[in-house]
Amino acid sequence: MSLKPKTKALTMLLGAGCLFLLAFFLLPLLFVLYESFLGTDGNLTVSRYLAVLQDNQFQNVYLRTLKMAVIVTVIAVFTAYPTAYLMMKIKSSHKAILMSLVILPLMTSPVARTYAWIVILGRYGIVNQTLSLFGLTREPVRMLYTEGAIVVGLLQLFLPIMVLNLVSALENVPSEVEEAALSLGSSKIGTFFRVIVPLSFDGLIMGVTLVFTGCITAYVTPAILGGAKVLTLATLMRQQALVLMNWEAATVIAVVMILTTLILHTVLKRFRPRNQT
Amino acid sequence: MKNSKLLILITAMVFIFLIGPFIMIFLTSFSSDAIMRFPPKGFTMSWYAKALNIQMFRTTFWVSLQTGLLATATAMLLGVPVAYANIRFNYRGKGTLELLFSSPAIVPGMVIGFALLRFFVYVSNIPIVIGLYLGHTAILFPYTVRVVSASLRNFEGDIEQAAISLGSTPLHAFFAVVLPNIRSGLVAAFILAFITSFNNVPVSLFLTGPGVATLPIQMLSYMEYYYDPTISALSSIIIVLTVIVVQSAEKLLGISKYV
Amino acid sequence: MAFIELKDIDAGYEKGKPILKNFHLSVEQGELVSLLGPSGCGKTTTLRTIAGFIMAEKGSVTIGGKDYTNVPPNKRNIGLVFQNYALFPHLSVFDNVAYGLRRRKVSKPEIAKRVADVLHLVSLKGFEDRLPAQLSGGQRQRVALARSIVIEPELLLLDEPLSNLDAKLRDEMRAELSRLQHQLGITMIYVTHDQIEAMSLSSRIIVMNEGLIEQSGPPEDIYEYPATPFVARFVGFDNRIDGTLTRLESKSVHVDVQGVEFISTRPSPNLSKQDEGKSVSLYFRPDDTQIGVEPGKNAFEVTIDFSNYQGNTTQYAMHLGSHALRAVVPGKPIADGTDRTVFSIPPDKVIAEKGVR
Repeated sequence: MSLKPKTKALTMLLGAGCLFLLAFFLLPLLFVLYESFLGTDGNLTVSRYLAVLQDNQFQNVYLRTLKMAVIVTVIAVFTAYPTAYLMMKIKSSHKAILMSLVILPLMTSPVARTYAWIVILGRYGIVNQTLSLFGLTREPVRMLYTEGAIVVGLLQLFLPIMVLNLVSALENVPSEVEEAALSLGSSKIGTFFRVIVPLSFDGLIMGVTLVFTGCITAYVTPAILGGAKVLTLATLMRQQALVLMNWEAATVIAVVMILTTLILHTVLKRFRPRNQT
Repeated sequence: MKNSKLLILITAMVFIFLIGPFIMIFLTSFSSDAIMRFPPKGFTMSWYAKALNIQMFRTTFWVSLQTGLLATATAMLLGVPVAYANIRFNYRGKGTLELLFSSPAIVPGMVIGFALLRFFVYVSNIPIVIGLYLGHTAILFPYTVRVVSASLRNFEGDIEQAAISLGSTPLHAFFAVVLPNIRSGLVAAFILAFITSFNNVPVSLFLTGPGVATLPIQMLSYMEYYYDPTISALSSIIIVLTVIVVQSAEKLLGISKYV
Repeated sequence: MAFIELKDIDAGYEKGKPILKNFHLSVEQGELVSLLGPSGCGKTTTLRTIAGFIMAEKGSVTIGGKDYTNVPPNKRNIGLVFQNYALFPHLSVFDNVAYGLRRRKVSKPEIAKRVADVLHLVSLKGFEDRLPAQLSGGQRQRVALARSIVIEPELLLLDEPLSNLDAKLRDEMRAELSRLQHQLGITMIYVTHDQIEAMSLSSRIIVMNEGLIEQSGPPEDIYEYPATPFVARFVGFDNRIDGTLTRLESKSVHVDVQGVEFISTRPSPNLSKQDEGKSVSLYFRPDDTQIGVEPGKNAFEVTIDFSNYQGNTTQYAMHLGSHALRAVVPGKPIADGTDRTVFSIPPDKVIAEKGVR
C-alpha cells in the first residue's frame, strides 16, 4: 500500500533511461557477443576466437598494447604524485591556475592534442632540430610511428586524469596528519610513503584504473602516432573491420577489449580500501 | 629544501609537457612553410583561410554540432530523472541499476560504436546517422547522471519536503524548487557532455562513413593524406573555442568541480 | 477523541524495520507538546509520520476527526518547520512566504495582505525582497515560521527549529514561539533533544526512547518525578541507588538501602501500596547532594575516587558498592586526608521509583 506511489515514481524516473540502455547499448553488445561465437554454418563455435587468439600478429599487438599501457601508467603515477602533492601545498589562487591548466587539455580535442606530437617529433620538428643543432645527430632520427611516440602521446592524453584523481584524493588527507607524522619523527619522504600514499590510495587506484584502461582502448593516439606500422588493439580492430573487411576478427577483438577492461576494473577494485576515515 | 626543489622540477616538467604541445600547434599554424619545420618561418594566416574553406570540414562541423546538441539534450532528459531517483530514493536493485547506468563509461567507446553498427545498421538497416546519435547519447548518459547527481547531492531534501508540506505535489516541487536550484549543475552537465561528444572519436569511428563524418573523424582522415599546417590552424581554432567555453563556464559555474 | 490520534503505528524509513512499533500518541487541540529524547529515539519519525512523509506500515493517523492515514503530505495542511530552515534559496522572502498560498490558489491581493500580516507578526516587515542568503540565522527561522503559519495550518510541526541558532538568539526565538502560540492558539508539536527548551516552551512533554514513549506529562512532573530510569537520567537525576521499599505513606516514602533508611518526602505518583517489599531505585541530582556530614538517615559512608575543583563548586566521583555516584558541592575540595566521607541527600531532593525490571 505505502510502496505504491514510490514504485510509480521510480518507474517514471528510471524507465526511459533503462529502456534506452537496454535497447541501444546492452542489446547491441549482447548481439556482438553472440555473433562472436557464430560459425559459418550458423552453429555456435569458438573457431573465431581460436583463429584470432592463435594469430601471431594479434598476440604481438595485444602484448604491445598491454606493455605500453603499463609504461604510461607507471610514468603517470610517478610524475602525477609529486605534481598533485605540490599543488596541494601552494597558495590556493596558484592552485586554481594550475588546476585549469590540468583541466584544459582534458577538455580539448584528443585529435588536436595528438597532432601536436607530429609537429614536435617529426623529421623537422623541435626535437630533431635541437639534436642536430648541438651536433648530436647527423640525420633526423625517426621518432614518429614508433612505440615511443605512442607512449608520449598517451601520457599527454591521460596524465591530467591521474593528476585530477590524486589531487581530489589528497584534498581529503588532513594536513594535520602529515604534521603529526613529522612531529613523531618521521622523515619527509617516510611520511609521504607511510602516511600520504596510504591515505590517498583510493584516488591512486581510481587514477590507475582510468589511465590503464584508457591506454588499452585508446584509438586516436596510436592511429596518428603509430599508424599502420605500430598497431595496438584499437587500431588493429579498426584495420580488421574497415580495411580488411574481416568482421569476424573485429568482433572477437571487440569482445577481447571489453573483457580486458572489465577484468582490469574488477581486479583493481579489489585494491581499493573499503573503510577510510 | 632538497625535496621541494625536486618537486618543483617534476611539476614544472609535467606542465611543460601538458601545455607545450598546444604552443607548438599555435606556432606552426602561422608558419608560411608548407612542411612542418621548427622553428617556423614567416607569418601567414593562409592556413586558417584554407581550413575554413575546406567544404568537408564545414559539413562535418555541422554534423558534430548537431550530433552533440541532440545527444546531449537526450542524455540530459534521460539522466536528470535517473540522478534524481538515485539521490532521493533507496530501492531494491539500486546497485545493479547504477552499474547499468555507469556501464557506457566503462565499455570502450569503439566497441559501443562497433556493436551499434553491427546490430542496427547491418541487421535492421537503420541510417548510420541514427546510430551515431544513439552511440553518442549512450556515452553521454553516465556523464549527465554523474554531474547532475553531484549538484543534487548538495541540495537539501528538506527544502523539497518544505514545498510538499506547503501543498506542492512531488512533481511540482521538482520543477518549482529543485530544478531552479541545480541550474548551474545542469548547465555544467550540458557543457561537459557536449564537449565530450564534440571531441569524441572512438564511438564515431564505426558510425561514420562516406557522406557522414564528424569533424574529428574528418580531421583524422585528412591527416592520413596531407601533411601541412591546415590541421594546425583548425586545431588552433578548436582549442581557442574550447578555452573560451571552458573558462567562461568555470567563471560562471565553477565547472571544474564536476569534471 | 483527541485532536491528533496516532494508533498502533508501525513506521520507519525502511520497510520491515519500523522505528516506531505499536506507537500511540494523542494531542489535544491548542496544546504545545514537545517530543523530547536523544537522537534515534523516534521523535523525528513521529513528526514525519504526522506530516505524511513517512507512510505508516500499520495503524492510523487521525487529525481533527478526519482519517489522514493515506493522505499524501501535500494534501494535509500541516505546517512544517525544519532545523535547517529549508527556505527556497532562489525565492525572495515574500515569495517564500507566499508559496503555500499560491499553491492554494489564493487571490493576489489576498496573498499580499496575508504575507504582509504574517511578516509583521514575526517582525520582518521590510525584508520582503531579500533572498534567504541575505538573512541572518534568526531571520531565516522567522521566515520559515511565517511561511508555515501563513497557510493557517491545522497544526504546526517543528523539528529542532532552534538548534542551529546561538544561545542568545535561541532564547529570543523561544520567547517568540511562546508568544505566537498564545496569540494564534495553534496546536504545535515540537521535536527537541534539549530539555531546557522543552521545559520552557511546552504545556506537555513526551519523553521518547527507542521508539517508545517513556513518560508523558507537564514539564514539572517530568522534571520532578521522572517515571523511568531513562527519564531520570535524561532530566539530570544522574545518581541511582537501589533499595527495597519498606513503607509508602501519603507524604513520605521509606526505603532500605543496605540497612540505612532513606526517606523521600516526594512520593512518586507511579508508586502504590502494592510495591511495598519490592525493589525500588532512588534517584537524585549531583547538585542536591551534601558531603562531609554526620552519619544518620539519608546518609552513608562512601569512597571518594577523585575530586575536581571547578571554581565555585567541586565535583566528586564516588562509589557505594557497585554504584558510581557523582556530587557537585559548593566550595573547595575537603582535605581531611582520607578518601572516605559521609554523603547525604535531603528527603525532599530524592525520589523513589519502581526498580529496574
